[in-house]
Amino acid sequence: MSRIFGIDLGTTNSLIAAMEDGAPRVIAVGGNQRALLPSVVAIAPDGAITVGEPAIEMEPHLTVERDGRVAAVGFAGGEYGAVIRSVKRYMGLGGDEIAPEDRARYTFADLSGPVVRFQIGKRVFTPSQISAEILRALKDGAERALGAAGKEEKVERVVITVPAYFNDGQRQATKDAGRLAGLEVVRLVNEPTAASLAYGLNKREAGNVAVFDFGGGTFDISILSIKEGIFEVLATNGDTHLGGDDIDRVIVDWLLAELPDALKLDRHVWNSARMAAENAKKRLTDVAETPVVVELPGHSIRKHLTRDALERMAEPFLARTLKRCELAVADAKLTPADIDAVVLVGGSTRMPLVRQRVAAMFHTEPLCSIDPDQIVALGAAVQASVLMGMQGDMLLLDVVPLSLGIETMGGVMERLIHRNTTIPTSVAEGFTTAVDNQTHVDIHVLQGERELAKDCRSLARFKLGPIQPQPAGVPRIEVTFLIDANGILNVNARDERTGREHSVDVKPSYGLTDDEIERMLEEAIDLGEQDLEERLLISYRNDAEQILGALRKQLGEFGALVDDGERARMDEVVERLEAARIGTDRDLIAKLVEELNEVTTPFAERVMDAAIKLALEKKSVEELS
Amino acid sequence: MIECPSCGRRQASLLICADCGSPIAAPLDCFAALGIPRKLTIDLGALERRYHELSRKLHPDRFASSAAPVRDASLHATATLTRSYRTLRDPVARGLYWLELNGEKLAENNKRVPPELAELVFEVQEQLAEMRDAPADSDAARGLAAQVAQRRGQLQATMDASLAELERNFVTWDRRPDEKMLTFELKAILSSIAYLGTLIRDVDRALENSKAA
Repeated sequence: MSRIFGIDLGTTNSLIAAMEDGAPRVIAVGGNQRALLPSVVAIAPDGAITVGEPAIEMEPHLTVERDGRVAAVGFAGGEYGAVIRSVKRYMGLGGDEIAPEDRARYTFADLSGPVVRFQIGKRVFTPSQISAEILRALKDGAERALGAAGKEEKVERVVITVPAYFNDGQRQATKDAGRLAGLEVVRLVNEPTAASLAYGLNKREAGNVAVFDFGGGTFDISILSIKEGIFEVLATNGDTHLGGDDIDRVIVDWLLAELPDALKLDRHVWNSARMAAENAKKRLTDVAETPVVVELPGHSIRKHLTRDALERMAEPFLARTLKRCELAVADAKLTPADIDAVVLVGGSTRMPLVRQRVAAMFHTEPLCSIDPDQIVALGAAVQASVLMGMQGDMLLLDVVPLSLGIETMGGVMERLIHRNTTIPTSVAEGFTTAVDNQTHVDIHVLQGERELAKDCRSLARFKLGPIQPQPAGVPRIEVTFLIDANGILNVNARDERTGREHSVDVKPSYGLTDDEIERMLEEAIDLGEQDLEERLLISYRNDAEQILGALRKQLGEFGALVDDGERARMDEVVERLEAARIGTDRDLIAKLVEELNEVTTPFAERVMDAAIKLALEKKSVEELS
Repeated sequence: MIECPSCGRRQASLLICADCGSPIAAPLDCFAALGIPRKLTIDLGALERRYHELSRKLHPDRFASSAAPVRDASLHATATLTRSYRTLRDPVARGLYWLELNGEKLAENNKRVPPELAELVFEVQEQLAEMRDAPADSDAARGLAAQVAQRRGQLQATMDASLAELERNFVTWDRRPDEKMLTFELKAILSSIAYLGTLIRDVDRALENSKAA
């Protein structure tokens, strides 16, 4: 059996990790030895796909050209190709479920169907297909990195993490993405639960742990009890549409406040403002105020953002996360004082305000020694090794985040499995007929906490039958609703008198049917071999572009740090790489990238030193003034 | 008799094969699933340890690379184990399950007010109605909300007393098992607990609404 890898398929970034010598490690899949692969997928009008950093370059945005002119670049959407960011926000949703703020960002095909579909050129893509591209990039990248380290290995079996608060449809869509990427998804693991594994908290005394997971697009809070290697989730709560993206949006609104509405909605303008907002937000983790600049054609927006102002913008979102925390702690039948340790996950927890508030709520300084961007992937790798039987007595007992039930008379939701029930779990319910000779019973399965069926999310509908014609109330059919360890529902029906299994044809209310997945897979297999070659070539080309671009930039700024002999050696390799990059020999490109890396390493180190020195000088000047 | 999906041995119903230790999807009652005697009093610490010990042996995470029938058995066995543990861990769920094992259950929706609660229920309903009718954000509304909040404390105390009585009765019933009497008394106390539960929920909702208004 091949090794199982851990994947964090994130809203903003995705990572892949595995155990190395008994400890979880992330694998560098991007260029420049980076582990974070931006969850950004660019689809050109001809269908060509690019993932990660190079895809960000293709996002519609405004750029200042050499002559000072501001130009609109990138795929503008629709027939012009598109760049999809935060696809996770759309996973498992029906067209009518897209949040209003997410609607204007992309061009969609028909929003009335059970699955969101992005319209790009003449083709349509489901969120699962887009996510599959990210998974493929992780797979290819990891295989390449392992190969380069002399450890040839295929990535075939994976654990993928999902927000704890993902519903059945969102989980199913994630599993579908894995399948479409040609991966066996051995298990879906909840992100906060995975994060708790990364800290090795099982080596401590028994205790209660809160995991506060505030990412780019989702918020989760999970309360766990850890005892003798058993990680038992007591309660979980969250919001699948609450994250750093929301804070960025408020900053963008503030940045663009004076612009006319038509310009605000322009994808080039909006994205440029979003990039500026995100960067400003990140800077304000370390400094108290920062300038924010958005260059528009013939006009530039120059504003000043202070950390205080940012915190006022973030406050309503933070308040929502803390409310969720209170609910989760109460559901766990604990008080905040019972929590022994708090684990921070997700980039948004870097904000000093978030740390202060979380510390105040739980009366303890949160743990943050593991990079909040990597912790989920690292935990997924630990869970992967648990699944391979390599972690002794360690075991995760997770819960289902939302109640599951069926619609009964009068449109009322009858709860069969309550939220925060440990999974896997099952419940059997007896059904019978209401009128004589009835041959089918319709069953509507729901997920949610509201009283009325119409306020809960429809999971699936199915017909029980055919039933032998009999007087009303005579047939006895036992239906078993089973939630597996992935948090996904399975339904079985049995005739109680004959003991015969009924086939249950479950029609999911949202998401893809098995037939649709099969068709997508077949299409993918047709293109499979060629796809793989092409994908590899594209990814090597991207690597080459990245290293060449970085080198050009460094030579521009720090050219004085290179001596002539060194420069000549670099130029020689650059020239050969430039030529190879246009060709199709990917091994040659890979070899030259490696070679260029080698000749430029001493220079890169000098640049790093110089850059740090410069930054320090600048800082001390700022401090003085 | 049931057959082990791993080694094929036929044996008495158990979640774990006596021969090879693999999981078996045996249809067991909650007590049998956890391998404990059918009693109403349960040591919760020991129950949790037993649950963890069995989880370690049965959980699907232990069989991720096994053949499909074994994985399936592990899934079903763990589901049975989990459900059994949750049922027995909670005294009220345990009591209701005991009734079910004896072919009884609480009346549908439990509409009839238990006689000993009648007066309390009447007063609470009265207060809730007054609160609904009071103009929002008035002194009267705030005064009523404060009264209802106080009433909630009283309801909770009654609930706690009933739960304590339930547990005391478990001990007595285990000592002198008289099926008929037991079922009758168990039903009475569980229906007042269920009724109180609904009432507390209604009060909480009303308080929540008045806060939101």
